[in-house]
Amino acid sequence: MTDTPLLAVRDLRVSFPGPEGPVEVVHGVDLELARGAKVALVGESGSGKSVTARAVLRLDADATLTGRIELDGTDLLTLPPRRMREVRGSRAGLVFQDPLASLNPVMTIGWQITQPLVIRGVSKKVARRRGVELLSRLGVRDAGRRFDDYPHQFSGGMRQRVVIAIAIVAEPALLIADEPTTALDVRVQAQVLRLLHELADERDMAVLLITHDLGIVAGFAERVVVMRHGLAVESGPVEEIYAAPRHPYTRALLAAVPRIGGDLSRPLATVGPAVGTAEEEAVEPS
Amino acid sequence: MSAGAKEHAGARRRVLPRVPVVERAAVTVAVAMVLLAAVGPLIAPHDPYAVDLSRSLLPPSGDHWFGTDVSGRDVLSRVLSGARITLPATMIVIVTAALIGTVVGTVAALGGKVVDEVLMRVTDIGLSLPSIILALGLAAALGSGLRSAVIALSLTWWPGYARLVRTLVRDVKDAEYVDAARMLGVSRTRLVLRHILPNALNTLYVQTTLDVAAVMLVISGLSFVGVGAQVPSPEWGAMIAAAAGDLTGGWWAVAFPGLAIMLTAISFNLLGDWLRVRNDPTIREGAGR
Repeated sequence: MTDTPLLAVRDLRVSFPGPEGPVEVVHGVDLELARGAKVALVGESGSGKSVTARAVLRLDADATLTGRIELDGTDLLTLPPRRMREVRGSRAGLVFQDPLASLNPVMTIGWQITQPLVIRGVSKKVARRRGVELLSRLGVRDAGRRFDDYPHQFSGGMRQRVVIAIAIVAEPALLIADEPTTALDVRVQAQVLRLLHELADERDMAVLLITHDLGIVAGFAERVVVMRHGLAVESGPVEEIYAAPRHPYTRALLAAVPRIGGDLSRPLATVGPAVGTAEEEAVEPS
Repeated sequence: MSAGAKEHAGARRRVLPRVPVVERAAVTVAVAMVLLAAVGPLIAPHDPYAVDLSRSLLPPSGDHWFGTDVSGRDVLSRVLSGARITLPATMIVIVTAALIGTVVGTVAALGGKVVDEVLMRVTDIGLSLPSIILALGLAAALGSGLRSAVIALSLTWWPGYARLVRTLVRDVKDAEYVDAARMLGVSRTRLVLRHILPNALNTLYVQTTLDVAAVMLVISGLSFVGVGAQVPSPEWGAMIAAAAGDLTGGWWAVAFPGLAIMLTAISFNLLGDWLRVRNDPTIREGAGR
């Protein structure tokens, strides 16, 4: 990493308005993604991983963000709305967890896939051709004909491919995937992740994968960042972290993954509140 | 997969043929009414205004299918001509009120706390006044006539729509697909017009078609009390009002314009249901797969 990273998050703090004043949920996270890199952000529910990812594109309008979020050297936190809109979709895309909820039910999937191109002045014809190409590249059979179908006519796995197509059709350099496969069954999960990996390589696109599933991280990402209680507790190359986790929370997380051939008579390990430092525990009530 | 592909092939074209019989009949009647409004006066067998006291209150016959009224005017010709008055007047009221209501409701739902409060208080004031009373006052101030009745009704009918649209838009605006679209760089205007409103307004369509009957009756009522369509006009409500006194001597002068109102009202109600189904792809295709 000699040149500037594609995405550099420095001391990001996120707070939301609460009944008794603002509540800080992310307490200064640093994150770095090189061009074409695949990084996983892992942690349990409520660890702040989603909020961190959503903050990059300033999704939550009521959140107060401090720190720096630099995409290609531009600080996104100080960008005026108009410029921010240009970044969204064309330089950074976002994939949500629930593929059905993130598709507009009354518009055809073709309309939705071509939208990021159409609003940027690409002709409908060209947009359609690129959309169909991308959709068939994502393994949707008969993409040309299915283009005019509505979201509810697709299965879960197909919907997630559609959602990915929408997010990357305008060829962003960064894709943030917020638990993109949680709503899918394990077999489809693997397919979708493999496709995402291939496409990212083809397009030299960086992917920030948010997940709580350590099982899918190993096959996908090169680096992993572990979050807990709004802090990044450990980060490094996947092999190192998996082989020799330094932070007790990471060790507990890895120990909690059930293994085929494991001793069935022993109860599965859990990530108890005893793990972690006293300071981290203190912030938990938020 | 093959079933899905097959189903897809007809998905677009099948919308009309798949409409059930009752809805199809309703659509037919509604379309026929609109056609009548366009060509009614041209196909009327007699002059709807020609008074002939020697032919007063003739029962329905081969010459006068719907009979004649107390002044000897042909009821069929008057009903046909009246379609051109009552239907457009009703449509203007509904469309104007729905437009105002949609704009006010949408701005209130998306415009922040202060805007919402102000607009909703104005709406509440509008809602608290019975629209027929307000219309009466306005019609009196603007001068009697169908035009004043239409303006007055348009201005009093929108608050209900504003409330409805505000609720609908508030439901939809936080949907994940709206967030998703925003994260693609979709502008605020396009978000509202292409993502929020198309998903929010289905219920409004149904409400407006249900209101067709109500508005038609209020227009007729205003005509009845003398601030709507004026006497010789074959506006349906005005016809009923004028003939009501002769009900025992000639039921047909009241029944046929009444039948026209009823048929139009029912067909528009069913049309509303059909529109709702048509605009919601998940219902159109049957249960979601």
